[in-house]
Amino acid sequence: MKLKKDTISDEIPTSSMADIAFLLIIYFMVTTTFAATRGLDFSLPQEEETQPLVEKEESILIEIRPGGAIYVDDNPMELEDILEDYIKEKLEANPTKPVIIRPDPNAEYGHMVDVFDELRQAEEKIGFEIRNVSIPTQREIDMFWY
Amino acid sequence: MKLKSRSVQNSGIPTASMADIAFLLIIFFMVTISFEVDKTQVTLPTTKIRFEIPKEAAYVSITESGKIRVSSGEEISVVVGSADDVLSFAASVVGTYPGRPFVLKADRGVPYEYVDRVIDSLKQSKAEVIYLLSQQETVGEDPAEAGG
Repeated sequence: MKLKKDTISDEIPTSSMADIAFLLIIYFMVTTTFAATRGLDFSLPQEEETQPLVEKEESILIEIRPGGAIYVDDNPMELEDILEDYIKEKLEANPTKPVIIRPDPNAEYGHMVDVFDELRQAEEKIGFEIRNVSIPTQREIDMFWY
Repeated sequence: MKLKSRSVQNSGIPTASMADIAFLLIIFFMVTISFEVDKTQVTLPTTKIRFEIPKEAAYVSITESGKIRVSSGEEISVVVGSADDVLSFAASVVGTYPGRPFVLKADRGVPYEYVDRVIDSLKQSKAEVIYLLSQQETVGEDPAEAGG
Protein backbone atom coordinates (compact mmCIF):
# COMPACT_ATOMS: atom_id res chain seq x y z
CA MET A 1 0.00 0.00 0.00
CA LYS A 2 1.32 3.40 -1.01
CA LEU A 3 1.32 5.94 1.79
CA LYS A 4 0.28 9.46 0.89
CA LYS A 5 2.73 12.09 2.08
CA ASP A 6 1.33 15.43 3.26
CA THR A 7 3.14 18.29 1.58
CA ILE A 8 3.14 21.66 3.38
CA SER A 9 3.51 24.70 1.16
CA ASP A 10 6.39 26.93 2.16
CA GLU A 11 4.70 30.06 0.69
CA ILE A 12 2.57 32.55 2.56
CA PRO A 13 -0.96 32.41 1.15
CA THR A 14 -1.60 35.82 -0.36
CA SER A 15 -4.55 35.05 -2.58
CA SER A 16 -6.99 36.91 -0.28
CA MET A 17 -4.69 39.93 0.12
CA ALA A 18 -6.21 41.74 -2.85
CA ASP A 19 -9.73 41.13 -1.51
CA ILE A 20 -8.82 42.62 1.87
CA ALA A 21 -7.08 45.56 0.20
CA PHE A 22 -10.05 46.31 -2.01
CA LEU A 23 -12.40 46.16 0.97
CA LEU A 24 -10.21 48.78 2.68
CA ILE A 25 -10.24 50.92 -0.46
CA ILE A 26 -14.03 50.79 -0.59
CA TYR A 27 -14.15 51.80 3.08
CA PHE A 28 -11.90 54.83 2.47
CA MET A 29 -13.77 55.82 -0.69
CA VAL A 30 -17.11 55.74 1.12
CA THR A 31 -15.92 57.62 4.21
CA THR A 32 -13.82 60.24 2.44
CA THR A 33 -15.62 63.52 2.11
CA PHE A 34 -14.27 66.21 -0.12
CA ALA A 35 -14.82 69.10 2.22
CA ALA A 36 -14.59 72.74 1.18
CA THR A 37 -11.37 73.84 2.82
CA ARG A 38 -10.91 77.22 1.22
CA GLY A 39 -12.29 80.61 1.86
CA LEU A 40 -11.71 84.33 2.15
CA ASP A 41 -9.44 85.36 4.98
CA PHE A 42 -10.42 88.29 7.09
CA SER A 43 -7.93 89.65 9.62
CA LEU A 44 -9.52 91.10 12.70
CA PRO A 45 -8.12 94.29 14.18
CA GLN A 46 -7.07 93.85 17.76
CA GLU A 47 -9.28 95.97 19.99
CA GLU A 48 -7.65 98.89 21.69
CA GLU A 49 -8.85 100.92 24.62
CA THR A 50 -9.57 103.90 22.41
CA GLN A 51 -10.95 103.20 18.97
CA PRO A 52 -10.02 105.71 16.28
CA LEU A 53 -13.09 107.49 15.01
CA VAL A 54 -13.36 107.36 11.26
CA GLU A 55 -14.95 110.40 9.72
CA LYS A 56 -17.57 109.55 7.13
CA GLU A 57 -15.92 111.81 4.56
CA GLU A 58 -12.59 110.04 5.01
CA SER A 59 -13.91 106.64 4.03
CA ILE A 60 -15.87 104.87 1.34
CA LEU A 61 -19.05 103.38 2.77
CA ILE A 62 -20.60 100.41 0.99
CA GLU A 63 -24.07 99.65 2.29
CA ILE A 64 -25.82 96.40 1.47
CA ARG A 65 -29.58 96.63 1.74
CA PRO A 66 -32.03 93.75 2.17
CA GLY A 67 -32.45 92.10 -1.22
CA GLY A 68 -28.87 92.80 -2.16
CA ALA A 69 -29.05 96.40 -3.40
CA ILE A 70 -25.67 98.08 -3.03
CA TYR A 71 -25.19 101.76 -2.18
CA VAL A 72 -21.70 103.23 -2.31
CA ASP A 73 -21.59 106.55 -0.46
CA ASP A 74 -25.38 106.71 -0.91
CA ASN A 75 -25.18 106.06 -4.67
CA PRO A 76 -26.90 102.90 -5.95
CA MET A 77 -24.41 100.72 -7.84
CA GLU A 78 -24.06 97.32 -9.43
CA LEU A 79 -21.55 94.96 -7.80
CA GLU A 80 -19.32 94.77 -10.87
CA ASP A 81 -19.17 98.59 -11.21
CA ILE A 82 -18.00 99.38 -7.68
CA LEU A 83 -14.29 99.02 -8.36
CA GLU A 84 -14.02 100.47 -11.85
CA ASP A 85 -16.53 103.28 -11.58
CA TYR A 86 -16.01 104.54 -8.06
CA ILE A 87 -13.32 103.05 -5.83
CA LYS A 88 -10.51 103.25 -8.39
CA GLU A 89 -10.83 107.01 -8.72
CA LYS A 90 -11.18 107.56 -4.97
CA LEU A 91 -8.24 105.38 -4.01
CA GLU A 92 -5.95 106.75 -6.69
CA ALA A 93 -6.22 110.08 -4.90
CA ASN A 94 -5.81 108.51 -1.45
CA PRO A 95 -4.65 104.86 -1.38
CA THR A 96 -5.06 104.56 2.39
CA LYS A 97 -8.74 105.54 2.35
CA PRO A 98 -10.67 102.97 4.39
CA VAL A 99 -13.44 101.04 2.67
CA ILE A 100 -16.21 100.10 5.07
CA ILE A 101 -18.74 97.38 4.29
CA ARG A 102 -21.95 97.83 6.22
CA PRO A 103 -24.58 95.20 5.55
CA ASP A 104 -28.12 95.69 6.77
CA PRO A 105 -29.01 93.21 9.55
CA ASN A 106 -31.67 91.74 7.24
CA ALA A 107 -29.42 91.50 4.19
CA GLU A 108 -28.23 88.03 3.23
CA TYR A 109 -24.75 87.02 4.35
CA GLY A 110 -24.01 85.88 0.77
CA HIS A 111 -24.36 89.44 -0.51
CA MET A 112 -21.77 90.66 2.00
CA VAL A 113 -19.38 87.93 0.84
CA ASP A 114 -19.99 88.92 -2.80
CA VAL A 115 -18.97 92.51 -2.05
CA PHE A 116 -15.96 91.46 0.04
CA ASP A 117 -14.85 89.08 -2.74
CA GLU A 118 -15.18 91.87 -5.29
CA LEU A 119 -13.00 94.19 -3.19
CA ARG A 120 -10.38 91.47 -2.78
CA GLN A 121 -10.13 91.29 -6.57
CA ALA A 122 -9.09 94.93 -6.77
CA GLU A 123 -5.47 94.19 -7.67
CA GLU A 124 -6.58 92.12 -10.65
CA LYS A 125 -9.32 94.50 -11.80
CA ILE A 126 -8.00 98.00 -11.10
CA GLY A 127 -4.30 97.36 -10.67
CA PHE A 128 -3.85 97.98 -6.97
CA GLU A 129 -4.86 96.37 -3.71
CA ILE A 130 -7.32 97.92 -1.30
CA ARG A 131 -5.29 98.09 1.89
CA ASN A 132 -7.97 98.94 4.37
CA VAL A 133 -11.27 97.04 4.21
CA SER A 134 -13.30 96.79 7.37
CA ILE A 135 -16.62 95.24 8.30
CA PRO A 136 -17.66 96.83 11.59
CA THR A 137 -20.14 94.94 13.71
CA GLN A 138 -23.37 96.50 14.96
CA ARG A 139 -21.88 96.87 18.45
CA GLU A 140 -18.89 98.77 17.05
CA ILE A 141 -21.19 100.96 14.97
CA ASP A 142 -23.28 101.77 18.05
CA MET A 143 -20.16 102.52 20.08
CA PHE A 144 -17.91 104.34 17.65
CA TRP A 145 -20.00 105.55 14.70
CA TYR A 146 -20.53 109.20 15.10
CA MET B 1 14.70 16.85 -36.69
CA LYS B 2 13.52 17.78 -33.26
CA LEU B 3 10.11 19.35 -33.29
CA LYS B 4 9.64 22.47 -31.24
CA SER B 5 7.25 21.87 -28.40
CA ARG B 6 4.00 23.73 -28.68
CA SER B 7 3.93 26.82 -26.49
CA VAL B 8 1.25 26.67 -23.83
CA GLN B 9 -0.79 29.84 -23.36
CA ASN B 10 -1.72 30.62 -19.77
CA SER B 11 -5.45 31.21 -19.61
CA GLY B 12 -5.39 32.98 -16.19
CA ILE B 13 -5.39 36.74 -15.69
CA PRO B 14 -2.16 37.81 -13.95
CA THR B 15 -3.25 39.23 -10.63
CA ALA B 16 0.01 39.14 -8.73
CA SER B 17 0.40 42.91 -8.76
CA MET B 18 -3.25 43.56 -7.83
CA ALA B 19 -2.48 43.69 -4.10
CA ASP B 20 0.38 46.15 -4.69
CA ILE B 21 -1.89 48.50 -6.63
CA ALA B 22 -4.62 48.16 -4.03
CA PHE B 23 -2.23 48.95 -1.17
CA LEU B 24 -0.91 51.98 -3.03
CA LEU B 25 -4.50 53.25 -3.32
CA ILE B 26 -5.06 52.57 0.39
CA ILE B 27 -1.94 54.57 1.29
CA PHE B 28 -3.19 57.43 -0.91
CA PHE B 29 -6.57 57.50 0.85
CA MET B 30 -4.97 57.22 4.30
CA VAL B 31 -2.69 60.17 3.60
CA THR B 32 -5.35 62.40 2.07
CA ILE B 33 -8.29 61.62 4.31
CA SER B 34 -9.31 64.38 6.67
CA PHE B 35 -12.01 63.92 9.22
CA GLU B 36 -14.47 66.78 9.17
CA VAL B 37 -15.17 68.22 12.59
CA ASP B 38 -18.23 70.04 11.34
CA LYS B 39 -20.72 68.38 9.04
CA THR B 40 -23.39 71.06 9.14
CA GLN B 41 -25.22 71.19 5.83
CA VAL B 42 -25.14 74.74 4.48
CA THR B 43 -25.17 76.40 1.08
CA LEU B 44 -21.87 78.23 1.05
CA PRO B 45 -21.41 81.56 -0.72
CA THR B 46 -19.29 81.45 -3.86
CA THR B 47 -16.12 83.51 -4.28
CA LYS B 48 -13.37 83.87 -6.86
CA ILE B 49 -10.68 84.56 -4.25
CA ARG B 50 -10.11 81.56 -1.99
CA PHE B 51 -7.25 80.70 0.31
CA GLU B 52 -6.36 77.36 1.82
CA ILE B 53 -7.64 77.10 5.37
CA PRO B 54 -5.12 75.76 7.91
CA LYS B 55 -5.97 72.25 9.10
CA GLU B 56 -5.95 73.27 12.73
CA ALA B 57 -8.79 75.75 12.85
CA ALA B 58 -11.84 76.27 15.02
CA TYR B 59 -15.24 76.17 13.32
CA VAL B 60 -18.39 78.20 13.80
CA SER B 61 -21.24 77.22 11.52
CA ILE B 62 -24.56 78.99 11.06
CA THR B 63 -27.46 77.38 9.24
CA GLU B 64 -30.04 79.32 7.27
CA SER B 65 -32.38 79.21 10.27
CA GLY B 66 -29.69 80.70 12.53
CA LYS B 67 -28.71 77.54 14.38
CA ILE B 68 -25.10 77.80 15.54
CA ARG B 69 -22.60 74.94 15.98
CA VAL B 70 -19.04 75.30 17.23
CA SER B 71 -15.92 73.16 17.28
CA SER B 72 -12.43 73.99 18.49
CA GLY B 73 -11.09 71.80 15.70
CA GLU B 74 -10.29 68.97 18.08
CA GLU B 75 -13.75 67.46 18.40
CA ILE B 76 -17.04 67.15 16.53
CA SER B 77 -19.06 70.36 16.54
CA VAL B 78 -21.81 70.94 19.10
CA VAL B 79 -24.87 73.16 19.06
CA VAL B 80 -24.75 76.35 21.12
CA GLY B 81 -27.71 78.42 22.15
CA SER B 82 -26.71 81.96 21.30
CA ALA B 83 -23.93 84.30 20.21
CA ASP B 84 -23.04 84.79 23.90
CA ASP B 85 -22.12 81.11 24.01
CA VAL B 86 -19.95 81.70 20.95
CA LEU B 87 -18.09 84.39 22.90
CA SER B 88 -17.29 82.05 25.78
CA PHE B 89 -16.39 79.26 23.34
CA ALA B 90 -14.11 81.54 21.30
CA ALA B 91 -12.46 82.93 24.43
CA SER B 92 -11.65 79.41 25.60
CA VAL B 93 -10.25 78.47 22.16
CA VAL B 94 -8.08 81.61 22.02
CA GLY B 95 -6.91 80.91 25.58
CA THR B 96 -6.07 77.27 24.87
CA TYR B 97 -4.76 77.61 21.32
CA PRO B 98 -3.47 81.18 20.86
CA GLY B 99 -3.41 82.28 17.23
CA ARG B 100 -5.76 79.54 16.05
CA PRO B 101 -7.83 80.78 13.09
CA PHE B 102 -11.61 80.57 13.09
CA VAL B 103 -13.59 79.32 10.13
CA LEU B 104 -17.02 80.82 9.64
CA LYS B 105 -19.18 78.35 7.78
CA ALA B 106 -22.41 80.20 7.26
CA ASP B 107 -25.27 79.63 4.85
CA ARG B 108 -25.30 82.29 2.15
CA GLY B 109 -28.98 82.95 2.80
CA VAL B 110 -28.71 83.56 6.55
CA PRO B 111 -29.68 87.10 7.65
CA TYR B 112 -26.51 89.08 8.30
CA GLU B 113 -27.49 89.93 11.87
CA TYR B 114 -26.69 86.33 12.93
CA VAL B 115 -23.27 86.54 11.29
CA ASP B 116 -22.71 90.00 12.78
CA ARG B 117 -23.23 88.69 16.32
CA VAL B 118 -20.84 85.80 15.73
CA ILE B 119 -18.13 88.03 14.20
CA ASP B 120 -18.56 90.43 17.11
CA SER B 121 -18.09 87.58 19.59
CA LEU B 122 -14.94 86.49 17.77
CA LYS B 123 -13.62 90.06 17.78
CA GLN B 124 -14.30 90.41 21.49
CA SER B 125 -12.55 87.13 22.23
CA LYS B 126 -9.40 88.51 20.51
CA ALA B 127 -9.49 86.07 17.59
CA GLU B 128 -6.92 87.10 15.01
CA VAL B 129 -8.13 85.70 11.69
CA ILE B 130 -11.49 84.53 10.40
CA TYR B 131 -11.85 82.52 7.21
CA LEU B 132 -15.17 82.90 5.47
CA LEU B 133 -15.67 79.42 4.05
CA SER B 134 -16.76 79.53 0.43
CA GLN B 135 -17.14 77.51 -2.72
CA GLN B 136 -15.31 78.20 -5.95
CA GLU B 137 -17.19 80.55 -8.22
CA THR B 138 -17.21 79.13 -11.72
CA VAL B 139 -16.56 81.27 -14.80
CA GLY B 140 -19.64 83.11 -15.96
CA GLU B 141 -21.56 82.42 -12.78
CA ASP B 142 -23.63 85.24 -11.38
CA PRO B 143 -22.72 85.52 -7.68
CA ALA B 144 -26.19 86.83 -6.89
CA GLU B 145 -27.79 83.68 -8.25
CA ALA B 146 -25.16 81.18 -7.12
CA GLY B 147 -26.22 78.68 -4.55
CA GLY B 148 -29.93 79.16 -5.21
